[in-house]
Amino acid sequence: MIFRQILVIVGLSVILGLGLNTVSPNKIDVIGKYRSLSAGNGPIVPPSASEGDPPFIAIDLAELEYSQGTTLFIDTRDPEEFECGTIPGSINIPFDYLPEENLEQYIDSALGGATLDQAMIAFCSGEECDLSLHLARNLQAMGYTNASIFFGGSREWEKFGLDIEKRRADCADL
Amino acid sequence: MRRFIDNDYLTVLLRLAVGITFMYASVYKIIEPASFAKSIWYYHMVPGSLINLIALVLPWVELLCGLFLIAGINYRGSVVLVNLMMIVFVIALTTTIARGISIDCGCFKAAVVSSEAAWDSLYFDVVLLVLAAQLFFSRSSRWMLARR
Repeated sequence: MIFRQILVIVGLSVILGLGLNTVSPNKIDVIGKYRSLSAGNGPIVPPSASEGDPPFIAIDLAELEYSQGTTLFIDTRDPEEFECGTIPGSINIPFDYLPEENLEQYIDSALGGATLDQAMIAFCSGEECDLSLHLARNLQAMGYTNASIFFGGSREWEKFGLDIEKRRADCADL
Repeated sequence: MRRFIDNDYLTVLLRLAVGITFMYASVYKIIEPASFAKSIWYYHMVPGSLINLIALVLPWVELLCGLFLIAGINYRGSVVLVNLMMIVFVIALTTTIARGISIDCGCFKAAVVSSEAAWDSLYFDVVLLVLAAQLFFSRSSRWMLARR
């Protein structure tokens, strides 16, 4: 009796859940593509990090956010490095080349009118580069509440065999 | 003690409280399955290939159980499922806190990542488990649309 009732509830849930998913605007793949966690490695946090900084995230969370397609990835390196290999779909806000005046307007405009709660992940080349931390601090100070830092950067992304987008061909020396 | 547990008014009150909580908790997850999938992922307890399937089905189990608890349809099955879910949620939250993983519990929605939120969720879930346990042991069957 109880077992039959449980079957009815679970069966109805499967039908409703999978059925609604086929017509939902927020549809997701029934079988997700999530990377298994690697030996409990956490996010890379640089010595220059301090309390109150935006959160640092590891490669697996960065990939998860990427696979969901709603998070804005921001490459903070120089335009040349950006064009020669970045996380696909990223935008480029080169922190070393930011204007001294009207910085906030510049960043707002580069973000293309993103809302203050838009999920965004700043990254750089890897552990030797602090630009993602600096940009994320600026974003936080400007009121963007959902910025995080992928400190492993494009190098760790590539090391894990994930796609890299190249926007120019003459990159051999970079 | 037995009379207290079997009290009709207490049982119907808890059916409403637990039922409404489960229904409320399910709505956001049904609307935003991707966010709920992310919450499940944070727990690091489910194989990656099953995360989305669970994110799609579990909220409906919660919604139907909540609805059936209140209406008194498929009642025993709903009570057993609600208790099972609460036991799993409490174990998941406890082990996650013990492992030091900062999470958003995904109980009502998926948003911030914090260990404080996990503790608050654990307290809440333990209370809800106690309420659900009362429904499991109560023999009251008043105000139900169908036989137990």
